[in-house]
Amino acid sequence: MVSLEQQVFGVTFQNPVLLASGTCGYGEEYAEIIGVDDLGGMVTKAVTPEPRVGNPPTRVSETPGGMINAIGLANVGLERFKSEKLPWLRENLSRAQVLVNVAGWSVGDFVTVVSGLDDEDGFIGYEINVSCPNVEGGTMFGTDEASLAQLVRALRSATERPLIVKLAPNVPDIGIFAEICEENGADGLSTINTFPGMVIDVEARRPVIGNVTGGISGPAIRPMGVHATWVAASRTSLPVIGIGGICNARDVLEYVLAGASLVQIGTAMFVDPFTAPQTIEGLCEICDRQGVRKISELVGALEV
Amino acid sequence: MKRKHRIVRAWSEVRSREQVAEETFWLELTAPGIAAQAAPGQFVMIGFGATSWGSPFLPRPNSIAAVRGDVIGLLVRVYGAGSRRLSALRPGDSILTLGPLGSRYEIGDATSVLCVAGGVGLAPFLLLPNWAKGVGKPVDIRLLYGERTGKAVFNQEKIRKLSGLDAEVWTEDGSVGRRGRVTEGLVLEDVDLVLTCGPTPMLKTVRNMTRDAGVPCQIAVEEHMACGMGTCIGCVIETVDPETGLEGYSLVCVDGPVFSAERLRW
Repeated sequence: MVSLEQQVFGVTFQNPVLLASGTCGYGEEYAEIIGVDDLGGMVTKAVTPEPRVGNPPTRVSETPGGMINAIGLANVGLERFKSEKLPWLRENLSRAQVLVNVAGWSVGDFVTVVSGLDDEDGFIGYEINVSCPNVEGGTMFGTDEASLAQLVRALRSATERPLIVKLAPNVPDIGIFAEICEENGADGLSTINTFPGMVIDVEARRPVIGNVTGGISGPAIRPMGVHATWVAASRTSLPVIGIGGICNARDVLEYVLAGASLVQIGTAMFVDPFTAPQTIEGLCEICDRQGVRKISELVGALEV
Repeated sequence: MKRKHRIVRAWSEVRSREQVAEETFWLELTAPGIAAQAAPGQFVMIGFGATSWGSPFLPRPNSIAAVRGDVIGLLVRVYGAGSRRLSALRPGDSILTLGPLGSRYEIGDATSVLCVAGGVGLAPFLLLPNWAKGVGKPVDIRLLYGERTGKAVFNQEKIRKLSGLDAEVWTEDGSVGRRGRVTEGLVLEDVDLVLTCGPTPMLKTVRNMTRDAGVPCQIAVEEHMACGMGTCIGCVIETVDPETGLEGYSLVCVDGPVFSAERLRW
């Protein structure tokens, strides 16, 4: 029987399958349907300093092989996350590891959230969403080398906990951004966030999405996610969390072979909440059939 | 609102499929966990599972239109790729179901209820009479049902069989029932409660007319959905709390799909 355990970020993940930020709320939503504590872990919905109501509808729509979303980082904000959401995570998840996703529009926003949470229990570290516009710099953190470096440096001084940067895919060479994270003290990388996209209603001549543009996720972006994972894992020595279009164990193994130590399932959970638990079962079956004793042996085992 | 029912996820077998109007199908699925709890207004997410190729990918919300033993009935009209694939299902096929989801119509103490349906917004009102009987609410229910054309009108014999109601049918082309929009048939005298479901312009007219007449109204709305259970925060609608005046967004999948008319900011 294969061991699916992974030692990453100073803790043990009982298996490499996590739920992606924004697709599992704060854990409680799925708890009645699946055993969240049986998963490798979960990444919370983004937390921003203040509560946000999010974007006007329409916020989601189907696209070829996936979906587009523009939720607008709707969330309860730092204080209510601490008082209402963290207690549930603390009390109900003892084996699954929790990462808190953090978003903001200035370096100060990110530092506020991380500093505000750093003394709390119930999670192991942070995943930093850099696919947000930087209102001070006028670009996106995740697509501007200097902004990204400044952000990671500032967060590194703010916490000793694991700091994982969720990279934006819409850059010419994601390897450069992976290297910047490593040089400035990040502990890991999540590859990838959604791709910017648009869908247009040709009868109404209007965008389908209320925010005009949104992020594309689902199986359509899986090959790009696997590529970004391979680049990030090759160009840095940081542990990588593979994300994008994972629907089953074979998809997970693509990411693992490309260099991912862990993976996240997101959009496929909307299609079927059993996707994550069934993927874990599937990993056992495939590894046992292939005679793999530990899944850690497969990380980056791609032969090219 | 705190949910009273338990969400059940299961692969369900298609029992029957029948074309009941132009591009409109009646599907029956064996779904005991959903059938045992379903109430009118509630919906199920129906999908094909998370396959690596993923098209159509997301499940689709469908209002529960009938419950008979372990079987639920759904009214499916073809609009795009997702509903096209649903309409092509055959008996014996399996389909992924998640439900029951969302809020229900609340009859309360009303004794005379008027239902106003547009298009496949008919679905919850096919379930309503039997459900009301099952929970011991003796109510007088009238049903107004509108379609754009006669060809789209759901088989009226089937409506009677499913719901026991004789629908007052309105079509815009006048080829079946009375000619005009269904809201022209809205007479609110001696009505305690109006329940409505259908296209948004129709819902807004019903909202305005009931408000002017001072008759309580509950409205089932539609929005694009991904998860159907409150995790993606995708299916929002603008609402206002009638007591505090606080404005914000509500989730159609969890807070709705049925809302009191005064909560919607239209």
